[in-house]
Amino acid sequence: MSRIVVTGIGIISAIGDSAESNRLALQKGLCGVTSIELFSTRYASLLPFGEIKLSNEILKSQLKVTAKSVTRTSLLAQHAFEQAIKDSHLSTEEITSYDTAFINGNTVGGMCLTDELYQDANRKSTASPFVTSYDLGSVTLYLQELYNIHGICNTINTACSSSANAIMYGARLIKQGKAKRAIVGGVDSLAKFTINGFNALHILSGEKCKPFDQNRSGLNLGEGAAFLILEREEDSINKKIYASLSGYANTNDAYHASSLSDTGEGPYEAMAEALRIANLQASDISFINAHGTGTENNDLVESVAMKRLFQSPPPFSSSKSNTGHTLGAAGAIEAIYSILSLQHQELYPSLNFQTPIDETGFAPLQSFQKSTVKHVMSNSFGFAGNCSSLIFSAI
Amino acid sequence: MFYIHQSSCITAQQAFVDPTTETITESVENKLYALDTNYDSIPPNILRRLGKAVKMGIATGHALISKHPVDGIVIGTANGGLEDCIKFLNQIIEFDEGRLTPTNFVQSTTNAIAGQLGIMSANKGYNITHVHRGLAFENALIDIEMLLQENPSNTYLIGGVDEISEYNYTIEDLAGAYKKEIISNTHLLQSTTAGSIAGEGAAMFIVNNNKAGARAAVKGIKTIHSSDPNDLAVQLAAFLQEHLQNESVDLFISGKNGDIRLDKYYELSASLLPSTTPVVYYKHLTGEFFTASAVALWLACNVLEADLFNRLLSIPPSSKANNILLYNTSKGNQHSFMVISKV
Repeated sequence: MSRIVVTGIGIISAIGDSAESNRLALQKGLCGVTSIELFSTRYASLLPFGEIKLSNEILKSQLKVTAKSVTRTSLLAQHAFEQAIKDSHLSTEEITSYDTAFINGNTVGGMCLTDELYQDANRKSTASPFVTSYDLGSVTLYLQELYNIHGICNTINTACSSSANAIMYGARLIKQGKAKRAIVGGVDSLAKFTINGFNALHILSGEKCKPFDQNRSGLNLGEGAAFLILEREEDSINKKIYASLSGYANTNDAYHASSLSDTGEGPYEAMAEALRIANLQASDISFINAHGTGTENNDLVESVAMKRLFQSPPPFSSSKSNTGHTLGAAGAIEAIYSILSLQHQELYPSLNFQTPIDETGFAPLQSFQKSTVKHVMSNSFGFAGNCSSLIFSAI
Repeated sequence: MFYIHQSSCITAQQAFVDPTTETITESVENKLYALDTNYDSIPPNILRRLGKAVKMGIATGHALISKHPVDGIVIGTANGGLEDCIKFLNQIIEFDEGRLTPTNFVQSTTNAIAGQLGIMSANKGYNITHVHRGLAFENALIDIEMLLQENPSNTYLIGGVDEISEYNYTIEDLAGAYKKEIISNTHLLQSTTAGSIAGEGAAMFIVNNNKAGARAAVKGIKTIHSSDPNDLAVQLAAFLQEHLQNESVDLFISGKNGDIRLDKYYELSASLLPSTTPVVYYKHLTGEFFTASAVALWLACNVLEADLFNRLLSIPPSSKANNILLYNTSKGNQHSFMVISKV
């Protein structure tokens, strides 16, 4: 079986609007988590967020979008989507061909327009331009129509692991001959809806998140988008190949709607199954881009699961300390960070760490380093127990 | 190809539960609410906190997996628990982002149904929620096709669920999805105006690769995105050739929903079959919703097995269905075909 390889990447996050700018920020340990400037919420100055400091007007003019109905979520997605297809030199014929699939992970959709949605849903006035742009599928369908994509299109919501599952679904479509290439990834924008939801669960931190620190105090929400082009290696002979997607897994923790089990059954099984699919041993993994949200529950459980699987884990870090937690985009953004590690043979540090968690004593990588990187594991765990792990390997 | 072994379904119609029921539940103000009763499989302490989509999903899903263990759970829902979503949204605005309770937020995420089913059955296997609007259930079926190729000895739960909430009814209505005039569902298919009527429901299936004892075979599933009828015609012809070769379609289950703007797609797809092929409709019984094709699949399984639903669906008594074609379109730009066959 031919390997599934990555031939194009596109990304926008709070630390950069391209793969190169994200890489530089990761190398320097820059943090994009700040006060909110671009939309109104009472938490704008109370809590920090990984906000992309490009207004919708600027994004629209950069993307040459004039339609009123296009939401911020769709704009961020379009930015990353266009970078990825350009990077992979996909032709119009290839994009519109019936054997090109497009799979998008998303949890917020057009609900970034919380106030407009309130008006429309309660019929407070005449229809806003956004009435067909609120659902999760709307983001995918906007790009599907814009680019006239004919192949299998799908939108997946497994909460914080959505885009990891989008990547996995695309790879499986190619392996099963249902697509020749797949544009895969995800997007989410900051929304009052999610800010208030996570705040009601008391898991938003008032300070910059401290993944894997004993004194961590919660997560910072962020926004972003990332897409990857997946193809068979044999179809990519004359193309730039970043890495192969060697392993993937989807499991469920089956414990609680919004927290993980003490023993980390779902995370453990996801990591173990991804290793089985990749035909690798735990000791083969060079680096882990952890889920590492900075919440009390996640970081302890993820550490416990890593200890069960690896005994002593390889270097790991959480780039959510750079970008905030971008929910549906997180799996794809962190997949691209994993790919950059493989491409440039370098490891990016976790920020704001001081004290290891008592139960495991694990410390994330705290400084940028050049290193031999062969296989990178990327974890994404979500509400409803949805756990996924991806493994990318050097070519 | 894979096989359906067990199924369960909740819609507005008591006649789907008991085919001897003489009456058809009628729509009220262009809405066909699903029966809100058969929740025996949900423990009362859990039931109390659930919105209708989650209730319907768990009732149909748990009824199956509590008796038939599965290796994974694959759900299609365009919107999940929207009533919880708007309850939380309204709290945000009306309490000006004040102190809010998280219950509605947690229930409102579209993956709550698959997650809750996983928790209730302690199922740590594959668990996913496809939310691609009018092709959410179809993508779940494509996922199942792949899962059963990858893991040939596994068994999975697959289902489709969506609810009518004030929220999505209003939004969809503002977008022109429903009729401006109030009509009865019993006249839906004769309508000559734009829009349909709202519906809701859930249908779940236990599927695997075992032919023995199966109720139906899913021979093929295909989705396309296009508003061009020519694309539809070309793809449907190729689909039938691929999955039926020289066999005939004995029955056509059409997703026609009374929206005159979509009639051309349903007429075109029917015109590609011999004019003698019986055509069956169901959306006057279920109303329109993004995962209505899950209910169509449930009906197809029943029609293949016995003639219990022939009267309700106006199927000619003489017809013997071996192969059923299902076609559905959502808003004219998302289309799906399925072929379901006798085992």
